[in-house]
Amino acid sequence: MPRVLTALVASFSLLALAAILLFLLGAAWPSIRYNGLTFLTGTTWNLGNLYAAAPVRVDGVRAMPGATFGALVFVLGTLLTSVLALVIAVPTSVGIAIFLTEYAPRRVGGAVSFVVELLAGVPSVVYGLWGIIVLVPWIGSWLGPALARALGFVPFLRGPVGTGAGLLASGLVLALMVVPIIASTVREALLMVPGELREGALALGMTRWEAIRAVSLPFARTGIVGASILGLGRALGETMAVLMVSGDAINLLPRNLYSPVGTMAATIAAQLDSALTDASGMAVHALAELALVLFLITVAVNVLARLVVRTGAMRRT
Amino acid sequence: MRPDTMGQARRPERNATLTSASRRVYPATLDWVQINGKGEPSMRSRLILIAAVAAATLLPMAPAAAGTQPVRLLETGSTLLYPLFNIWVPFYTHHVARAVQITTQGTGSGTGIAEATQGTAQIGASDAYMSDAQVKSDPGVLNIPLAISVQVIAYNLPSVRGHLRLDGQVLAEIYAHRITRWNDRRIARLNPGVKLPPLAIVPVRRNDSSGDTFLFTQYLSGMDRSWSKTVGYGTQVSWPANPALVGATGNPGVVEALRSRTGTVGYVGISWQRELDAAHLGVAAIENRAHRFLLATPQTVKAAAAARVAKTPRDERISLILAPGPQAYPIINYEYAVVMSRQKDLRTAAAIRGFLDWCVSPRGGNRAAFLDRVHFLALPPAVVKDSQAQIAKIR
Amino acid sequence: MRARRARDRLMGVLALLAALVVLVPLVDLVVMVVIRSLPALSLSLFTSPTQGAAGGLENAILGTLLLVGLAMAISVPVGVAGGVYLGEFARKGRLAGAVRFSADVLTGVPSIVLGYFGYVLMVVDLGWGFSALAGAVTLAIMAVPYIVRSTQMSLDRVDPALREASLALGAGLGTTVARVTLRAARPGIVTGILIALSVALGETAPLLYTAGWSSYPPAPHLLHAPVGYLTYVVWTFINEPMASAQHLAYAAALLLMLLVLGVNVLVRRLVSRAGRSELPIR
Repeated sequence: MPRVLTALVASFSLLALAAILLFLLGAAWPSIRYNGLTFLTGTTWNLGNLYAAAPVRVDGVRAMPGATFGALVFVLGTLLTSVLALVIAVPTSVGIAIFLTEYAPRRVGGAVSFVVELLAGVPSVVYGLWGIIVLVPWIGSWLGPALARALGFVPFLRGPVGTGAGLLASGLVLALMVVPIIASTVREALLMVPGELREGALALGMTRWEAIRAVSLPFARTGIVGASILGLGRALGETMAVLMVSGDAINLLPRNLYSPVGTMAATIAAQLDSALTDASGMAVHALAELALVLFLITVAVNVLARLVVRTGAMRRT
Repeated sequence: MRPDTMGQARRPERNATLTSASRRVYPATLDWVQINGKGEPSMRSRLILIAAVAAATLLPMAPAAAGTQPVRLLETGSTLLYPLFNIWVPFYTHHVARAVQITTQGTGSGTGIAEATQGTAQIGASDAYMSDAQVKSDPGVLNIPLAISVQVIAYNLPSVRGHLRLDGQVLAEIYAHRITRWNDRRIARLNPGVKLPPLAIVPVRRNDSSGDTFLFTQYLSGMDRSWSKTVGYGTQVSWPANPALVGATGNPGVVEALRSRTGTVGYVGISWQRELDAAHLGVAAIENRAHRFLLATPQTVKAAAAARVAKTPRDERISLILAPGPQAYPIINYEYAVVMSRQKDLRTAAAIRGFLDWCVSPRGGNRAAFLDRVHFLALPPAVVKDSQAQIAKIR
Repeated sequence: MRARRARDRLMGVLALLAALVVLVPLVDLVVMVVIRSLPALSLSLFTSPTQGAAGGLENAILGTLLLVGLAMAISVPVGVAGGVYLGEFARKGRLAGAVRFSADVLTGVPSIVLGYFGYVLMVVDLGWGFSALAGAVTLAIMAVPYIVRSTQMSLDRVDPALREASLALGAGLGTTVARVTLRAARPGIVTGILIALSVALGETAPLLYTAGWSSYPPAPHLLHAPVGYLTYVVWTFINEPMASAQHLAYAAALLLMLLVLGVNVLVRRLVSRAGRSELPIR
C-alpha cells in the first residue's frame, strides 16, 4: 500500500515534466517548422520587424518579416558557462565539505556552514548586482589581464579581456550560486560514511587525507555526482544573474574566456517580454523552442552523467 | 546547519546523539517502541514545527478585508513609466478615490500589453505604441498617452569637458563596430576643437526588452539608412555582431556599465539624469532633424512635442522621434496606457476611467509636481483631449 | 611518513582555502546588502505595506510566507514520498528510473519557463488569475526535485544493516521506512528541504507571471488575488531611480537572507533536539 501511494506521489515530478514537455512541444512547433535545422546551426537571432504592417506567411506558418532564429550562440554559451561553473564549483564544494566534516574546528566549521547556507538564500538578482558592481570590474582590470598574461599560451585564455562581463564572470557567479547546493549535499554524503570504515582506515595507520581518499570519497562518490547534477541543473537554468554579468552576446560566438556570452535561459528571460508583442506569435514560439533545446541538453547531460557513474562503478567492482 | 552541531567530528561525546555530524559508532538500537515511549521531546518539537508551518501559512489570511469590497485594479508593464505610477497611485488612492485599490507592477512593456489584452491586468503600461498588426489581432484595444518621456545619450570620457556632439550616423556606426575609437575622424569632424582621446569605444545596449531600445533604434533608423535596412527598430533588436558591444540590464545596469569604464557610450531614460550626474558622466548634444545639435531641456522637449501634436491621429499611436523644427529634441515619446475598451464589469470600467482621467488631467496626474520628479513632460492640451476621448470608450 | 603527513597537512590547507574562496565573496556580498539596506531599516518595514516603490514591506513579507508556506506544504510531502519511493520501494525499475530522471531534468528547466508555463496553464487557461495558489504550485514544481533527490540519496546511504535488522525483527517495509530508515536519513532529507526552501525563497521569475504582485496584504482567498513577495521588491525596486526604492530593495534582500538563516537554524534545532532521544544511528 505505501509502495503504491508513494509511487503515485513520486509520479508528480514525472507528470510535471511531461506537462512542461508537451507545453513546450506545442508552443515550439511553429518555430520548428519555420526554422528547421538552422535553429541549431545559425548564429543570427532576429525577432524580425515587429512593427511591420502585417506578418508574412512561410510554409504555412506566420512570422514577422526578417525573422530568423539561429540559437548556436546561446547553446554554446549555456554549455560553456555551466561547464566552467562546475569545474570551479565541484572541487571547491568537495573541499568545503571535507573541511567541514574532517578538518574544521567546531566554531570555524559552524561559521563556515552558516555562510554557505546564506549563499543559497541570496536572491539571484543580488548575485547579479554584486557581479556587476564588484566582480566584472575586477575581472576586467585585474583577473582577466593576469590570467591572459600567465596562461596566454593556451589559445582560449589569450586576450583581449574586454570589459570583464562575459564567460568568466558568468562562470564565477554561477559557481558561487551552485556551491551551497553541492557543498551541503556532499557534506551530508560524507557524514553518512560508516564510522567503522573510516576508523578502520585510520587504525591501519592511514593519515586523515588518505582515509578520506581511500574510504570517504569513494563511499560518497554517487552522492558527489548526484549533487553535481543538481548543481548543473541550477547552472543550466539560471537566468537573471547570468543575464546581468554575461555581457549577453547576440549574433556573436565567444572568442576567448573573457568574451561576452549569451545563454539560453537568460535569452528567454530577456526576450520573452518583447516576444509577447509579436503579432504573429513566432517570437514566443522560437523562445519555446529555445527552452525545448535547453530541456534536451539537460536530458543529454543527465544521461551522460549516469553513464559516467555506471562505467565508473563497473570498473571498481 | 546549526553552528554548534557543525564540525562535531572531533567531539562526538558532547552531543552524542542523532545529529548528522556525530561520528561515534553506536550499537544499532532498533526498539522503536521504546523510542516512542520516551519520545515527548520529539512529539513536542514536531507540534511546534507543525504550528510554525501552519502559522506561516495562515497568518497572512488574518487581515481579511471587511465591509464593502473596494475595486482592485492591476497596472503592469513598462519599467520606465513605473516610477511615475508609483508616485501617482499612492496619491490617487489616498486623496482622490479611496474605494479603489491599485497595484502597480514593473514587468516590461511587452508583458504589460500581453496581460492587458489577455485580461489578467486592467492597465498595461508601454513605452511603445502597439503595431498595426497587433492592434488588428486585438480588436478593441486602446493606446492612451499619459505623459511624455525623453532619452539622453551618455558617455564616459573624463578628459572631455562640455557636451560632445553626436549624430545618428556616427552612433549607428559605433554600434555597428565601424567606428571603434573616440578619436575617429568622423567624431572629430562633429567636434572641432575638442581633444578626443585615442580610446576604444565600448557601446552599451540594453539586454532586456526595453522601451529605451525602441526609442534609440528608432532614432538610428531615422538617421541612418543602412541601420534602418539591416537592424531596424524594436524593444529588442538583432544587434550587429560587435565584439565591443556590452549588454546591460535595466537603466541602472547601463548607468553602472557607463560609470565603471571609460570609453563607454549608451542610451538612458531621462529619469536617471540624477544618477548620470552623480557618476560624472557626459551627456551628448545630439543631432535633430534640422541638423542642429541639442540637449534635452524643457524647451527643446516642448518644441518637439508641439511639432507632433497636430499629427497625432485619433488612436494616438504615433512616434515622436525626430520631430521637425529647429529647436525640437529628437528622442522623445508618449508613454502609453494599454487598456481594453471592454472590461469585465461596469464597476471596474468606471474605476479605470476615473483613474486614467485623473492621470491625464493637468490638474491631476499631469501636474508638474508629479512629472518633474521623473523629468517627464505633461501632455499638450490637444492630446489630453484625445486621450480623454479614448478613455471614455472604456466600458 | 613525513611526506604523507605533509600531504595530509596540505590537503587540510586546500580544504580551508576552498572554504575561504567562498567566504570572501560572500562576506563582501552580505556587507554590500547590509550597508545599502541600512537607511530603510525601521519598525515600519514590518507594519506598513509598500506604497508604490516606498513604504514598508508588510505585504511582501506576509505574501512570501504565504507563498513559500503553501509551496512547502505541497512539495515536502510530495518530495519526501517520491524520495522514499525511489530510495526504499523501487530502487530499480522503470518508473523509479523515470522519476529520478525527471527530477534531475526538472532542476534544469529555467525558472522563467516554469513561470510562463504556470501563467498559460493556471493563470489563463484554468482561469485562476494571478493568485497565491498559481504561484505556490509553480514554486513547488521547482522545489520538489531537490527534495526527491536528496531524500533518495540520504536513504541510499543509510546503513543497510539497519534496514535488514528491522525487517528481520518482523517489521514490515512500510514500518521500517517510517520508523527506522527515514529517521536515520533525516539530516540529509532536512538539508534537501532547506535547499529547496532557499531556492524557492530566492526566486522571482516563476512568480512574476503567476503570483503577480500586490501592494496590499494577501487577501483571504487563494485564487483570483495577486500576492506580493520580497523577491519582487528586490528585482524591481533595484531598478528604480529613487534612492528610497533601492534601499527598500536591499532591505528585502536582507530580510530574505535572514529568513533563510532563521528557518535553517530553527529547523536544525528542532531536528537535532527531536533526534536526541531517538535512534542513535552511527
